[in-house]
Amino acid sequence: MLHSFTFHAIAAGIAIVLIAIVLVLRAPKIVSHLMFKYLRKRRIAWVSLVAVMLCTAMVIVVISVMGGWLRMFRETYHGITGDIVVGRQSLAGFPYYQEMLDRIQKLPEVAGAVPALRTFGLINIDGQIHDGVQVIGYPLEKMHSVSQFRHSLVRQYSDCKETLDDPKATPEEKAKAKSILNAPASFKHVYTDDLYKAIQPNMDPDTMPGMIVGASLVGLNKRPSDEAGAGKPDYIRPEEVDLYARWAQLTVMGVSDRRVSIDLRDKSERRFWIVDASRTKVWQYDSQTVYIPFDVMQEMLNMKETKVTDAKTGQEEVLPARTTDITVGIKPDADLYATRDKVRQIVDDVLANHKIEFFRDPVTTRSWEEVNAKFIGAVEKEKILVTMLFAVISVVAIFLIFCIFYMIVVEKTRDIGIIKSVGATSNDVAGVFVGYGLAIGIVGGAMGLLSGYVFIHFINQIHAWVGRTFGFTMWDAETYAFDTIPNTMNPKEVTVIVTVAILSALIGALVPAWIAARKNPVESLRWE
Amino acid sequence: MTKTVQSISTQSSANGAILRASGLKKSFRMGDSSVVVLKQVDLTIRPGEFLAIEGRSGSGKSTLLHILGALDEADAGTVEYDGRDIASLSARARSELRNSQFGFVFQFYHLLPELNVLENTMLAAMVKNSWLRFRSNKPQIRKRAIEVLEQLGMEHRLKHRPAQLSGGERQRVAIGRALMNGPRVLLADEPTGNLDSETGRQIMAVLEKLHREQQQTIVMVTHDRSIAHRADRVLVLREGRLEKPADVSKQNPAQGPDDE
Ligand SMILES: Nc1ncnc2c1ncn2[C@@H]1O[C@H](COP(=O)(O)OP(=O)(O)O)[C@@H](O)[C@H]1O
Ligand SMILES: [Mg+2]
Repeated sequence: MLHSFTFHAIAAGIAIVLIAIVLVLRAPKIVSHLMFKYLRKRRIAWVSLVAVMLCTAMVIVVISVMGGWLRMFRETYHGITGDIVVGRQSLAGFPYYQEMLDRIQKLPEVAGAVPALRTFGLINIDGQIHDGVQVIGYPLEKMHSVSQFRHSLVRQYSDCKETLDDPKATPEEKAKAKSILNAPASFKHVYTDDLYKAIQPNMDPDTMPGMIVGASLVGLNKRPSDEAGAGKPDYIRPEEVDLYARWAQLTVMGVSDRRVSIDLRDKSERRFWIVDASRTKVWQYDSQTVYIPFDVMQEMLNMKETKVTDAKTGQEEVLPARTTDITVGIKPDADLYATRDKVRQIVDDVLANHKIEFFRDPVTTRSWEEVNAKFIGAVEKEKILVTMLFAVISVVAIFLIFCIFYMIVVEKTRDIGIIKSVGATSNDVAGVFVGYGLAIGIVGGAMGLLSGYVFIHFINQIHAWVGRTFGFTMWDAETYAFDTIPNTMNPKEVTVIVTVAILSALIGALVPAWIAARKNPVESLRWE
Repeated sequence: MTKTVQSISTQSSANGAILRASGLKKSFRMGDSSVVVLKQVDLTIRPGEFLAIEGRSGSGKSTLLHILGALDEADAGTVEYDGRDIASLSARARSELRNSQFGFVFQFYHLLPELNVLENTMLAAMVKNSWLRFRSNKPQIRKRAIEVLEQLGMEHRLKHRPAQLSGGERQRVAIGRALMNGPRVLLADEPTGNLDSETGRQIMAVLEKLHREQQQTIVMVTHDRSIAHRADRVLVLREGRLEKPADVSKQNPAQGPDDE
């Protein structure tokens, strides 16, 4: 529906401009001549011009920011989430995931499936940063088949991303960068054991796995605008905070469906070396999340396969390994929802075979859109709301144009009588004012497009400047999830907006034009 | 009567009428009452004549002139131009008449303030020609406008705006505008009414020269008897009718209010 509306708006806009040009060329010279004279000499017309311009620019900016935000939201969340997620809200997770993985991976639509763990913990970085964090356990060596998470890694991937964007890079350099980009990431240590021992003599580097931290968590933030300068990168670099020489101590609590309360015996603590930082641009991930190897985390949470002996009966029992999530990546041409249904079928089947049923907190199989529906839906609704608000403003602009044009018609009553006395027809008179409205619409729309474009293009710089000069921040990363304001324009949306602006100016001019055309020349000429 | 009809059918022959008004009536509604301005006006205008219609302010002179020039319509009666009833023409045809056959000159000049002298003069040509045709004929149109302004002694003020001109100069430009498309009838509504007497005389000299040298047909209305009497023929508009003036010294017996 939106597509056909877009198409019609574009077609209507082009048709109106073409018809207008033909009419102007065929209409008496006086029509275009007076139109441009009034446009240039009547300052009041500029008010309507500015009104059209501002409305156009405003709607373009708002739609672009909201639309860009929505797109960024979807792309980023999709990149992090993967395509399909099997998960359980409860941190206790679910068992028999390996069986599920084996069967899911056999589906022809599926590119890959990996387990992932999720919990909350306390972190102590270098004895300096103490914070509560979301802890995610990834089998990083397999993650490339299911999500784009690895591309958020600052050390392992940002260089090759820069190479790909660099116009001066040679084809060989680009090919190499591409192969790195497609290769899996790892938790491998950055430095040699000797170096680590030199930094921390009383720690054993061999027992310390790698950890990836959210970039903002360790201060790799956007450079404050007053420090930004020529040559300096936008973000603070890991080298500047000596990131890879820092250790982190993580404390988590294992959770189990079997225990009623959280037990101190399930507390688990371990030291890591920081090996990379992740910048997803999603605030909640970048400032409050750390990533560790799946195996390490499963062990810490006591979710590996274990043998327990029942204290009363003395019977031995094997508890299967558990995970909290399975992330599935699908092939590019596979249908998201059909595949989700197949995955769901497998999950339900495996659980049923093992006679497992979670009453309170079932295992769900959802697409990435469903997983993030809460966020995406909110942004979508906000976009619609803001669009409606600005549509109302545009109606106000039509009235403004109507009022200004009406004023001009009244002011120009005598001129109308004069040109009729030298033979202009009512259509010619109407033509002057319709053309006038159209010209204001086209010029105002074009100026609005231009200023909207410039504003959008420099929106982050403008925002930084406003923040610096007046000391307040409108775009709060915590509220909007991203630390930069989206600044891409959708050509289709922009075309619709400009077309509607031209039409609005035209509609605002039609009634005054009709009034002008109807004026009796004799009465007009009685005015002095 | 028969003779008259024949003369109309031969159209612009020397004795035929360009404009013939018969039985014109016009009244204006003012709320509940209505003001009868023209009761019974009969008039014949021949090619090449300079007719003045004299009358008090408010006697309906402007109204009559507007009806003669196809700018307004009478309640009753007919105006024939070249033997055709103007009222029977389409709105477009009447616009064309105003554009190419009639030229109006008003008491208050009525120039367009945003246009300069040259543009104001070319107004009728800008109405007549489409944008494309105006563009291709611009040299001729410009030449014609400058030629007209030369006759009026205004050729040195082409780029001036009306606000930068004196009253007399503005009226010359207004006459230039009226003459631009070479109208057969010039309709002047108190052309000197807003000017001091010396300037008024100069404007009258311009009209007389047009009449004398180019046989321009002129219908002029004025409240000023001394101005009116510089025309060939004078009629008085009084109580909605045209009459011969009391002072008949200027009257040619053959040129009464009407032929009959
Ligand atoms: N549009 C109109 N509505 C009402 N009355 C009008 C209108 N036009 C002219 N009149 C009246 O008609 C009368 C004649 O007007 P007009 O032709 O302008 O006279 P003149 O030009 O001789 O001064 C005046 O009384 C005037 O008030
Ligand atoms: Mg008058």
